[in-house]
Amino acid sequence: MTGTTIPTLETARLILRAPQESDFEHERDFYATEAARFVGGPKQPHETWRMLAMMLGHWALRGYGFWALEDKATGTYQGRVGLWFPYGWSEREIGWTLMPHGQGKGFATEAAEAARAYAYDTLGWDTAISQIAAANDASKAVARRLGAHFERIYDDPQYGPVEIWRHLSPSDLVNGGMEAYA
Amino acid sequence: MSLFSVDIPLIETERLILRAPREDDFAALAAFLASDRSRFVGGPMDAPQAFRSLLASLGHWLLRGYGMWTIALRQDDAPVGRVGFLYGEGWDEPELGWHVFSGYEGQGLAFEAALAARAHGAAQFGLTGVISYIDPANSRSLALARRLGAQFERDGAVIGKPAQVWRHPKLEALA
Repeated sequence: MTGTTIPTLETARLILRAPQESDFEHERDFYATEAARFVGGPKQPHETWRMLAMMLGHWALRGYGFWALEDKATGTYQGRVGLWFPYGWSEREIGWTLMPHGQGKGFATEAAEAARAYAYDTLGWDTAISQIAAANDASKAVARRLGAHFERIYDDPQYGPVEIWRHLSPSDLVNGGMEAYA
Repeated sequence: MSLFSVDIPLIETERLILRAPREDDFAALAAFLASDRSRFVGGPMDAPQAFRSLLASLGHWLLRGYGMWTIALRQDDAPVGRVGFLYGEGWDEPELGWHVFSGYEGQGLAFEAALAARAHGAAQFGLTGVISYIDPANSRSLALARRLGAQFERDGAVIGKPAQVWRHPKLEALA
């Protein structure tokens, strides 16, 4: 038996659930455009399908991965947030990618806080990074809202130079991290 | 909570075990995919991409209920290749695919594995009379398709790349 249990998490406005095949059409349309340039795009539809398969395979192999985000109000797919650590990655990462219709609402921050809590409280991580393209201002703004700080430039073998942002640690959060001001 | 699980069956043949892909297959898989021998199956690629290939092959099982097995030797469980069914975006229909890692060619291992996988697909996955996409320059694979009783059907394409479409027999006809 090969498989994985993917927990469902809930925030004020979002459900974080297992990726499923019906998410594909949203990701395919997003990855067909330049809007995906900071997150490995544009991609051909077959590459995007493969990415969906990879995300499930990551859960199976690592026991964590990307959740799909559903807007509670409408039940629609908004993007994904997750915990990512494939071979060759610099460190365990918290990642987020929103569909264009999901951007500008604070969804990434809200979901990433839940993913970060899962990484620290359930998986026992003691730190996490996010790899962010230098020109991706929206994503850097999410990192700042999460209390992360720019640490260094990392020359990723696949994506070239990217910024590494360091998240608040579990003890930062306990001792008056951003959560405390929220 | 949502449980994604699939029973990746273990199939034994005379010399081989077809089993679920595992992380400890990665070194052998990455070495094959880094080599020029992988040019007919999407390579060569670097190690991070090879890892993604391993992830995608597991995810394929979870999405479709079937996929590619690791071919391992019965005697020591060493991974020597992959065989199984692929049906992602960009495929016309489910495909039987195979590749054997360097150093294990010429022993009939791919034939033995493909025969077992094809029989299992027909019996358990409802996949019979499937196709194989083969690069016209891949003479080894063309020879294996013939040996498996497949027939050239047409010139087609998979994920946008030209490939010959070979049709396997319906297994009822094989008796």
